[in-house]
Amino acid sequence: MIFDSYEAFRAVNFTAKVCILGSGPTGTTIARKLGAAGIPVVVLEAGSREFSDDSQDFYRGVTVGDPYFDLDITRLRFMGGSSNHWAGWCRVLDSQDFEPKAWAPDTGWPISRADIEPYLSEVHDILELPDFRPDVPISDDIRWVQLIKSPAVRFGEKFADELDKSRNVAVVLNTYATELAGDGRRVTSAKLWSNGQDAGSFTADYFIACTGGLENSRLLLWSNQRSNGGVVPKATALGRYWMEHPTFEGGNAILADYSAFEVDATNEAFFSPTLAAMERLEIMNFGIRLIETPYPGVKRIIADLACTAPEMAEWVSYQLSQDLRCAAQLYVAWEQAPLASNQVQLSKADVDHAGVPRIELHWKKSELERRTLLEGLRLFGTTLVQKDLGRVRIADWLTNGGDYPTNEELAGHHHMGGTRMGTDVTKSVVDANSKVHGMDNLYVGGSSVFCTSGECNPTTTIVALACRLGDHLSKVIGV
Amino acid sequence: MSFFTRKMSRRTIMQALIALPALSLFRKLPAADPDAIVEINGWILKRSDLA
Ligand SMILES: Cc1cc2nc3c(=O)[nH]c(=O)nc-3n(C[C@H](O)[C@H](O)[C@H](O)COP(=O)(O)OP(=O)(O)OC[C@H]3O[C@@H](n4cnc5c(N)ncnc54)[C@H](O)[C@@H]3O)c2cc1C
Repeated sequence: MIFDSYEAFRAVNFTAKVCILGSGPTGTTIARKLGAAGIPVVVLEAGSREFSDDSQDFYRGVTVGDPYFDLDITRLRFMGGSSNHWAGWCRVLDSQDFEPKAWAPDTGWPISRADIEPYLSEVHDILELPDFRPDVPISDDIRWVQLIKSPAVRFGEKFADELDKSRNVAVVLNTYATELAGDGRRVTSAKLWSNGQDAGSFTADYFIACTGGLENSRLLLWSNQRSNGGVVPKATALGRYWMEHPTFEGGNAILADYSAFEVDATNEAFFSPTLAAMERLEIMNFGIRLIETPYPGVKRIIADLACTAPEMAEWVSYQLSQDLRCAAQLYVAWEQAPLASNQVQLSKADVDHAGVPRIELHWKKSELERRTLLEGLRLFGTTLVQKDLGRVRIADWLTNGGDYPTNEELAGHHHMGGTRMGTDVTKSVVDANSKVHGMDNLYVGGSSVFCTSGECNPTTTIVALACRLGDHLSKVIGV
Repeated sequence: MSFFTRKMSRRTIMQALIALPALSLFRKLPAADPDAIVEINGWILKRSDLA
């Protein structure tokens, strides 16, 4: 069932056992799992079926620190959430991403990749993915990895029909959960705002916050403040360890044989380090995206190379004259070291129309990340030389220690951390089952539970974790 | 003139100077490895690329 307002929903007699906040990939996936298990679920969705400026306005906020996207641009607030404009690039976190790294504090998950593997076939159905091919090691240091560019499933569109016909799932649109009330052991209700006004409270046995990788922190910080710590009793890490995938063009490559790597439909190939290389250099994970350089770009590279290695420049010119692809831009996206100081805070100056403080995001890239970017490119360049696959040129701003360019991709629109999973209650918010520490009936879904970010796009892992949480709750609740 | 040269005969000095190029032939210079990785102007290259 789908209702366009909270009033319309109230008119029917539907008693929910579970209340899910948010209908993005996370909320929709958990709702479908619980519904299939015969558990009655309500999904409260702040937005409507379509994009609207009025709804987006609730997402405005400010960023303090490094340049970042406007917070009302980097996500979408309507049915299906940010899947309405995601690019559909898919890959699951590697097993090494779940492991603690001795050289990077506060890394390591309380679960391993094996814990989500049983759900990957479901994820493939949901996201319409073919099977991933195994990584191909091209040296002891570098793996040629696969990132699948999927059809970018829009969750609102794909599952609207199924949800509308469901007897167990009720999606209630235009219904914003402004805060959760709790007594330090249980969430007792969700306070609602609908059609521009207070719409009372909603109760259920279980609550799952699936409002996105920024909004989960905001919702819980505000709820906790209003409930005097009754919603997240162990709140030291709440909002903290927020992470992105910074993304910058780090240089160029000339390739001896472009066809050595089977590029995808958009002529791109992806490379990441091995765990051994990360360990040896004490760097974070990264992903190098190799993109074919357009003709004028190749000419610039030849001119530059001619000063240093004239014979090689001649070879590239020859390749170019034969219309052979031989040069690529290297975009690097990397894993951020989790830092408590990178965090979502509540603004003291600005509230949204419902009176909820807006987000003040504190975000800065660290020295370790800068080293990851530079050493990562050196590692890739060295591998290309050793294997006679090509040569790499690292961008001047990187070798000269210059500032990050401001006219580039910046980051991936991947909002991770803030309600991390863990066993240490001072460094995490939820346990290995995504249940808030100290609370009996409050769970969190989505990338806000990520302990570390790995290098790959998050949604494939998000959906796998959502399937796992849905499964877990079905067993906890039983029918 | 330094104390050292004052003590040596002119002939000895001449002999030493003549012997110099020959001596350098026997000096063991590490041969530049053409496969060594070098970083120049941001390029990561093989030394032999610089030829
Ligand atoms: C431009 C762009 C490109 C991207 N490309 C990729 C990609 O290629 N690959 C990839 O893996 N990821 C990508 N992402 C990230 C991806 O979109 C997110 O990881 C994914 O949407 C997260 O799903 P979610 O359900 O956890 O959160 P969201 O999609 O943010 O959904 C949250 C939902 O909760 C609702 N909501 C918010 N607050 C409340 C509240 N208080 N009460 C009720 N409802 C609420 C929102 O309206 C929304 O529908 C991209 C993101 C952007 C912006």
